Amino acid sequence: MHKKQSRDLLLFILGGVVLYFLSGMVDELRVYQGASIAVYVIAISSIILLTGYSGQVSLGHGALMAVGAYAAAVARIELQAPIILCFVIAVLAAAIGGALLGAAAARLSGPYLAGTTLALAIGLPSLANQFSVLGGEQGLLFDVGFPPLSLGEEFTQYKWFFWIAALAALISMWAVKNILSSRYGRTWRAIRGNEVAAQLSGINIARSKILAFTISAGIAGLAGALLSMTIGTVSPSAFPLALSFSLLTGAVLSGITTLGGAMIGAVVLVAIPEVADAVANRIGSSERVTTNLPGFLVSALLILTVLFVPNGPVEQHRARKAKKKNYLS
Amino acid sequence: MDFLNTLLIGITAGSIYSLMAISMVLVWRSTRVVNFAQAGMALLSTYFGFEAVTKLGSFWIALPVAMLGGALVAALVEMILIRLLVKHSSSGPIAGVAPIIATLGLLGVIRASASMIWGGQDVRIVGPVSNDGFTINGTTLVFSPLKLLILVTVLVLMLILSLVFQKTNIGLALRASAYSPEIARLSGIKVDWVRTLGWALAGAAGAVAGMFQTVNGNGTLSPDSIEFSLLLVSGFIAAVIGGLDSLIGAVIGGLVLGLMISFVLMYISSGLFFIAPFVILLLVLFIRPQGIFGAKAARRA
Repeated sequence: MHKKQSRDLLLFILGGVVLYFLSGMVDELRVYQGASIAVYVIAISSIILLTGYSGQVSLGHGALMAVGAYAAAVARIELQAPIILCFVIAVLAAAIGGALLGAAAARLSGPYLAGTTLALAIGLPSLANQFSVLGGEQGLLFDVGFPPLSLGEEFTQYKWFFWIAALAALISMWAVKNILSSRYGRTWRAIRGNEVAAQLSGINIARSKILAFTISAGIAGLAGALLSMTIGTVSPSAFPLALSFSLLTGAVLSGITTLGGAMIGAVVLVAIPEVADAVANRIGSSERVTTNLPGFLVSALLILTVLFVPNGPVEQHRARKAKKKNYLS
Repeated sequence: MDFLNTLLIGITAGSIYSLMAISMVLVWRSTRVVNFAQAGMALLSTYFGFEAVTKLGSFWIALPVAMLGGALVAALVEMILIRLLVKHSSSGPIAGVAPIIATLGLLGVIRASASMIWGGQDVRIVGPVSNDGFTINGTTLVFSPLKLLILVTVLVLMLILSLVFQKTNIGLALRASAYSPEIARLSGIKVDWVRTLGWALAGAAGAVAGMFQTVNGNGTLSPDSIEFSLLLVSGFIAAVIGGLDSLIGAVIGGLVLGLMISFVLMYISSGLFFIAPFVILLLVLFIRPQGIFGAKAARRA
């Protein structure tokens, strides 16, 4: 176990080094998209932890991301907190929100939980309009500042965003991976498999579920703060219901139990608007088709994946391979 | 006077939520799926109704057209999407969440398609009667002929539905399939078709809810309008308040929700438009997780 962990750590560090050199070679737009991918990887891993492992569905992760983003922005503006502290505050604030939601969620299952979190996702962002400290419709500015001068004159803002987001993604993936292979991860899988059996073997169901929700929410909060960093502002419109749906799509595309697949989902989510643009340009369609095509593609992809690759491409491949092996032996 | 106004607005809105909740309950009873696309299907049917109003000019022809369209769409969704879903995704870690994810995807597809087809233009449905309030003793109420008409129509539809359920063979088949699909199948009921029928009825009920929600609001129709987000959330909440399994529960759940929202907006703050339903839902789930009319047993849906 110990050996495997240190090997994983090495892999993550290696990944970081590759990203470091890669960010120097591609153009600005790609660097920005790289930052978006990193943000989505974090958000999707929070869904995989919650839905794939503890078996709870949340359609409210967009709202939890908003909590993190607002917390970070308020800390930045009101307290002039250093940027790292802002992200820590984002994680903590969203985790507290997640714990509250998780306490309610522990009593619910399946469609009830989905509906409750859906109501939250629709309701919470509009609450921001009620408090002047949150800036209403316009929202708040969230400025992480210029990259440090020691990185050189040519170091651009987007590259700085990418560095921060990619580092956060590496760290949170590493953390999630360890949590999932720890005692807690096994506990969650036991509950997902059979709640009654898990209870009989001495697992405190409610406590484990709330813990899963809290951790997942904290990670989502980090993703929310990073997302608003790349946009530069925090406003209710940055966290629409569509965001929660996109995250779910990303997680299902990745394979709901395949943490390593989070990359696949994130890349697809970032690529879809571009693909949609290209398609719309090719067929020369009107503006209202162009603006709605990405949403259409995301949703259609979600349905098709659930119908035909329900457990994700990686898992599907593994299952097919296992079947073949059984057949041969 | 404020009190009376709030009460009447609440009851009218609540009756529309009741219809939406009924359609959720019908779907839940027939296939054990909570259909998050129900409001999306209602939206689509309302667009059918809009086309009918503009082409044929009468609200009273458009309403059945919308209902028929809604029923057809729902039946198709059940026959294609839900049956495939049962076939492909009923095992593995995804099994528990697959229906939720699939219906959400459907909601997205419908919303995006509707925006592509009808978005951008000013889509308006004019109600059959005026929405200007009645005047009693010189004071004008918010309650209008249109609201009265909505109440009466919803009441009539519910009466018809309950007659169908209680007095006809079709109603018996619907109830039997919901109670125990196995036994229903053994006694010669074609459960698959009964399920499709349940979805079709739900689609029709949702269509009426969509049409009335539109004319009861400001008459305009848009895929991202607040009216339909509210319909999506409140239909679900009303159904959960009532217990998801009970048609009477759905009706009462809708009315309770409509009244509560109306009073919260009037007496506490009008900014709580979306948060109020959420708080009500949490309260209900904490006090009586199985809903007012739900079965006693803990739900492991």
